Amino acid sequence: MNMQYAAIETRDLSKRYEKVEALRGIDLTVNAGEMFALLGPNGAGKTTLFSILATLRKPSGGEARVMGFDVMRERAAVRQRMGIVFQEPALEQKLSVRDNLLLMGLFYGLSMKAARVRTGEIMETLGLTDIAARQAQKLSGGQKRRLELARSMVPNPDILFLDEATLGLDVDARRSFWAQVRQFVRSGRTVFFTTHYMEEAEVADRIALINEGRIIALGTPRELKDRIGGGVILLATEDDVRACAWLMQHGHKPEASERGIVLVSTEPAAVLPALLTTLPVKTLRAEVHEPSLEDVFLTLTGKGLDNGEAVPPKPALIMGGAR
Amino acid sequence: MKGLFAVIMLDLKRLQTDRVRLISSLIQPLLYLFVLGSGLGASSVLGKGRYIQYIFPGVLGLSLLFSAVFAAMLIVFDRQIGFLKAVLVAPVPRTAIAIGKVLSGAIQALVPAVVLLIFLPLLGMHMGWLRFLGLLGAMVIAAITFSALGVATAARFKSTTVFPIISNAVLLPMFFLSGALYPLADAPHWLKILAHFDPVAYAVDLMRGAVLDTTFFPVWLSLAVLTGFITTLTWLATRVFASGEDA
Ligand SMILES: Nc1ncnc2c1ncn2[C@@H]1O[C@H](COP(=O)(O)OP(=O)(O)OP(=O)(O)O)[C@@H](O)[C@H]1O
Ligand SMILES: [Mg+2]
Repeated sequence: MNMQYAAIETRDLSKRYEKVEALRGIDLTVNAGEMFALLGPNGAGKTTLFSILATLRKPSGGEARVMGFDVMRERAAVRQRMGIVFQEPALEQKLSVRDNLLLMGLFYGLSMKAARVRTGEIMETLGLTDIAARQAQKLSGGQKRRLELARSMVPNPDILFLDEATLGLDVDARRSFWAQVRQFVRSGRTVFFTTHYMEEAEVADRIALINEGRIIALGTPRELKDRIGGGVILLATEDDVRACAWLMQHGHKPEASERGIVLVSTEPAAVLPALLTTLPVKTLRAEVHEPSLEDVFLTLTGKGLDNGEAVPPKPALIMGGAR
Repeated sequence: MKGLFAVIMLDLKRLQTDRVRLISSLIQPLLYLFVLGSGLGASSVLGKGRYIQYIFPGVLGLSLLFSAVFAAMLIVFDRQIGFLKAVLVAPVPRTAIAIGKVLSGAIQALVPAVVLLIFLPLLGMHMGWLRFLGLLGAMVIAAITFSALGVATAARFKSTTVFPIISNAVLLPMFFLSGALYPLADAPHWLKILAHFDPVAYAVDLMRGAVLDTTFFPVWLSLAVLTGFITTLTWLATRVFASGEDA
């Protein structure tokens, strides 16, 4: 028995579909007991990585181990120790909440009696007892996702994979979902997750940013933000194209995003007033805030995380209609 | 085998909730039996009563074939709905999934076929217990063969648009070639040869042997061929399930 293993360890992991190179050499170590987030835009390769770690797909090259077991050669051992919530729903729609969980118990080798007990426990912890008899297809979106989480916990896994598990849920439902997940991590187990909601990623112990099949940055949320230092100026002007052109001529590196013009600066509070007086385009709004993970990604790749729904952090300073 | 029971349980729980499928699978063979029996039987040299007895095993075969393959086709929905993914990440041997699917399909196909047996006495067919058990045994083997055929095929497909094609281009020809509706012994030579490659022909022949005491193929040959089919097809299905989402 190797006691000192990482929860996840990949070496030069690659995956290509017929035409697409989805993963191009992923080296990643996730420690046991860590809550680890993988962030990246659509098509970055997140689900592909999850599928390989969860033994659903074969890598085209490289190696991966989960809880110390090789995902290719020791599949049964990996499967026994992990739970996963897929990006897409994976419930048996016609069956009740209870039967969905009960059957999973049987698939994990529990006896009928043990599966009943386990199902009862999980429904109790996740607050599904009241709706135990309801058909899966008749649940609300939040209840469905909670049932998926319950299903992934049936085998009492050491590691949980969550692939955009809270997609489409409202703030309350997401909060209660993550409360359950944190409970799980507190018991010393590992969670590896993706999300498009930045505030969910903030609570991770560490974050890896993935883009076009490569890990482009890795660290704690603090470390990642410190990489770009200072803060971020967000401008909305009457003519963003002209403003960008002017900024570039004057030695800045503006990025146009859906939030407006993003400008990373070591001393935003000092730079902004001067900018506002010299910019030849009328400014409609100007904000200064701490760099967000989104900004980190933007600086590193020149494009956004494509997280339409994420709320930007509270601005530290707002000037409306200034010139 | 670990997981085998779970695969079968899942499918039976599902069938239980799917009343429409249960009822329609019962009605279809009855329709064939009486329409075909009365229509074709009127012009048959065997006479109406004898002809219905003759095609009874054929109709059993038809019912088993279509119910089994239809049950297997639900695997395609499984893939789309995603529940199969959840099953594939569970530590269940892929052989258990394949064998489980084959057996559950066979069970689902046997339900309406066994109900059809109630009509035996009404058709004037009285058989001893031994013969009846022989028929049941032949039905079980036939159901497993057809189910294996369905599972090996369905496991490969990701879209349901192929259903009608398979039904028209594969199942119907296999059924008509099988001698389910006419005696193979009197069929033209080329048809006899083709029938040797048709698992439905062996399965129907085995069931007819139990009912009417005459077979076209030697019984040992039918048993050997069907066992071969079942083993090969189940192995093929195992391989597809083993490749997970890469399939
Ligand atoms: N089955 C497949 N066949 C071919 N290409 C695929 C397949 N699955 C994914 N891809 C491609 O691989 C790349 C990575 O896809 P993947 O689903 O891993 O992205 P993702 O990071 O999960 O994106 P999203 O945030 O949209 O879920 C994409 O370019 C996608 O088009
Ligand atoms: Mg994805």
